[in-house]
Amino acid sequence: MAVTVRVDAVSEPVQASLWSDAWRRLRRNRLALAAAIYLILLVGVAIVAIFYTPYRMSATGIAPDYATPSLAHWLGADNLGRDQLSRLMIGAQISLIVGVGTQLLVLAVGVPIGLLAGYYRGWLDQVVTFVINVFYGVPDLLVALILVFLLGPSLANIIIAIVVTRWMDMARLVRGQTLALREREFIEAGRASGAKPMKMLFGHIMPNALGPIIVQATFGVPSAILFEAFLSFLGAGVQQPTPSWGSMAKDGVDAIQFAPHMVIAPAIVLSLTLMAFNFLGDGLRDALDPRSRR
Amino acid sequence: MFTRGTLIFIGQRVVLIVFTVLAVSSIVFLGIHRLPGDALFNEHLHGEQYALLLHHYNLDKPLLTQYWDFIVALVTRGDLGESLVNRGVKITPLVLRELGISVELGGFALIFTIGLGLLFGVVASVRQNTWVDYVLSTTSVIGYSMPNFVIATFLILVFGKWLEGVTGGTFYYQLGAWKGDLGQLWLPAFALGFPYASIVARLTRASMLEVVRQDYIRTARAKGLRETVIVVRHALRNALIPVITILGPLAIGIITGSVVIENLFGIPGLGKEFAQSILNRDYFIVIGVFTMYAAMVGLANLVVDLAYVVIDPRIRY
Amino acid sequence: MPTPILQVKGLRTEFLTDGGIVRAVDDVTFDLYPGETLGIVGESGSGKSVTALSLLRLVPDPGRVVGGQVLFRNEDLLQISEDDIRQIRGRDIAMIFQDPQSSLNPVLKTGFQIDEAMLAHGTPKGQAHARTIELLKKVRIPAAESRVKDFPHQLSGGMRQRAMIAMGLANTPSILIADEPTTALDVTVQAQILELLADLNRELGTAIVMITHDMGVVAGLCTRVIVMYAGQIVEEGPVEQIFDNPQHPYTWSLLRSIPRVDALRHERLRSIEGIAPDLLHPPKGCRFHPRCPFRVEKCFTDEPSLEEVAPNQKAACWVTMERARREMGADELVDIRPGAGSGVRRGELR
Repeated sequence: MAVTVRVDAVSEPVQASLWSDAWRRLRRNRLALAAAIYLILLVGVAIVAIFYTPYRMSATGIAPDYATPSLAHWLGADNLGRDQLSRLMIGAQISLIVGVGTQLLVLAVGVPIGLLAGYYRGWLDQVVTFVINVFYGVPDLLVALILVFLLGPSLANIIIAIVVTRWMDMARLVRGQTLALREREFIEAGRASGAKPMKMLFGHIMPNALGPIIVQATFGVPSAILFEAFLSFLGAGVQQPTPSWGSMAKDGVDAIQFAPHMVIAPAIVLSLTLMAFNFLGDGLRDALDPRSRR
Repeated sequence: MFTRGTLIFIGQRVVLIVFTVLAVSSIVFLGIHRLPGDALFNEHLHGEQYALLLHHYNLDKPLLTQYWDFIVALVTRGDLGESLVNRGVKITPLVLRELGISVELGGFALIFTIGLGLLFGVVASVRQNTWVDYVLSTTSVIGYSMPNFVIATFLILVFGKWLEGVTGGTFYYQLGAWKGDLGQLWLPAFALGFPYASIVARLTRASMLEVVRQDYIRTARAKGLRETVIVVRHALRNALIPVITILGPLAIGIITGSVVIENLFGIPGLGKEFAQSILNRDYFIVIGVFTMYAAMVGLANLVVDLAYVVIDPRIRY
Repeated sequence: MPTPILQVKGLRTEFLTDGGIVRAVDDVTFDLYPGETLGIVGESGSGKSVTALSLLRLVPDPGRVVGGQVLFRNEDLLQISEDDIRQIRGRDIAMIFQDPQSSLNPVLKTGFQIDEAMLAHGTPKGQAHARTIELLKKVRIPAAESRVKDFPHQLSGGMRQRAMIAMGLANTPSILIADEPTTALDVTVQAQILELLADLNRELGTAIVMITHDMGVVAGLCTRVIVMYAGQIVEEGPVEQIFDNPQHPYTWSLLRSIPRVDALRHERLRSIEGIAPDLLHPPKGCRFHPRCPFRVEKCFTDEPSLEEVAPNQKAACWVTMERARREMGADELVDIRPGAGSGVRRGELR
């Protein structure tokens, strides 16, 4: 058997080629690429909405109530005569803030917990695993709903409620990755040579688990957006007059018999956004971990 | 299949479920009773009237006493107390009735979820890398990317508005039926079950692709079995094992989803009650509903564990 | 010679991989006679298992039988319809596999899996069930009546393989193909299984095709042997003749790798020098030449064909052992050790 002797047996498996390979594979995935383009456009819209919307999103009566789409109001108006397009643009901001903000917090909470539990194992790991399992056993959305009500509905509280109920996906993933990685030779070598635990965790283990973490975070964004939409749809979301795709859909459903345009636009945009994140996540997973491909 | 060990296992799990249910209702109880007493009432009450009301709801005692009374009532009489908004309405019979309706809806949704999920998953795996596979796999991603209220909304638009002439506009669930009209239930059940069907389909497909590569499938083929027998009897049964794992989260998902779907279709189940009582600040009902949910999640997980025993003879408790 | 029951002509099976086409079975031709025990021997990757799977069209994706004929009862098994081949599988030609642990379905009762082999070919349920018990007794499973209700994981490795054999014999097939049936079992159980197969062959007259990498198994069971290397047959003939007088250097190397009780202590067990060829890029000329201690110039460029080298014995080699022995002297031949870095170099044998 031909055995290639690895001279650099303790060097880390992270290589520049891993990321460039992944990028090459991602570029070939047309669905993921289309999703990425859509999301870039969406981010663009959200940024533009900071400075410019066709109308003020809270201005009532600028069109007849329930006005159908026209040249002046491309997506029509809602039950209070507010411009749908402007509200949809602000809604994009809300959704992206909730989606990305939640995942940033989930990363900040889940990654350290997972790293510590996986690295030190023992009682710490048992406690973390137990808590994770408890959280998996309760209907997360309903807990979030109660939390939002106890804390009071606001954008920040919604984000907090989602993080509280969704942090364990990331923690569980990172814990598993850490458990696997700590047995690898470059970690053992680092430990043997007396590297500090924190340096091992954040300098060596985390970078090697970065691929799965990115994929998990990508999948976490649509799930958070969906959460917010659910909460808003039930009337526990961002409060009026600030629009959210969920609350716009809710207003639309109330008027579905005579003004279906009100529900169609937010429903489609919301679905497209969730889909785009999921396709992007699929693409990233396939690109970063070729073994998991079908 | 079920041995004495299994019965002991079931017994232990039931005890565990009871404790979990108590723990969940305790947490919700304490969380809500942290609020100052007057936050629990919508009216602005004063003086004697207010004191009477506090006394009526046992709110004038120390928190620990209240909690003890609550637990004793729950354990001994199954009593969850009285609605804060609709005075005199006992919560236990209310939520039990609503539970029945929700179980009916959820069960019907599960039929969609598991039925469609398995069907799509198996077909996609058998026709791997053909257009059928691509269509089904893409539908899957679309399915679980669409919030159930979006699916529900489009169903209402299509069947309730655009096809009103055909359906006669009878897509709304009729009130007060324990045995609801299944003909009216299938739209909400579909909206509730379909996103999860997509997840089941994805998992089944992956699991089937793994299983059909196994040696025992080759054995089955070498025996001269028909392809359908091989797929259903030999492959699917083994492919189900990893799929069962997600039935627990799935049950939670359906419970969660029912909150939205019941509101949307006006189905008087637990989910509608849950959202409504939160919006109305009828917190005691929230405790009651959550107690029911905790019990259902516990039971669902027990059923999942027992399903393993039925499907996989290597697993025994 | 009686008429063959199975004739394989020019069989070719390919695997389409990312790296290109792998010719796993490359122009394989042989006959199988009724009631005989034929061994097909080779290293892993020699194409012996794929040959067996190709006969019943069981080659897994991305493999494909691309050429040749498999004639059974005047029908080409490679041409008949999917439903017709299904009728042949398990009824006329049965197959048992290497690892009985993974070859039995873990979620179905062992007895039922044997029943199934008969139910698939029209035996009524009750009859099938009674025969399963009878079969399990025949393959010497104790307490057969209660064992039918056991799941595979409740049986021992040897019992599982016996159950597999019972399944194979369920419809009294005229051919039983056994793909390394003893490899996953420990030595004593191996011997029992081989004995069982030999008895069944004698009693029932079932022709057995034994696929193995172990010349010892061939010696114990078979009357005729085919040696495969890199997807091709390199030698073929009666077992005794081949053991006494191998004509292909590969066969010779294989025989030298059998542990022998009577071997002198200083004679070390030898494995074959070099690695099995990369079938994506098979060597030019004779496929064995990179590992062959006797190669000559011609071996590098021209492919030898299977020629009669003795009565009933064929070999595909430019320098058959016979010639090597004649030209170099018998003593010298014994000294050439594959793996010992022997000095035989290109052209030296001339």
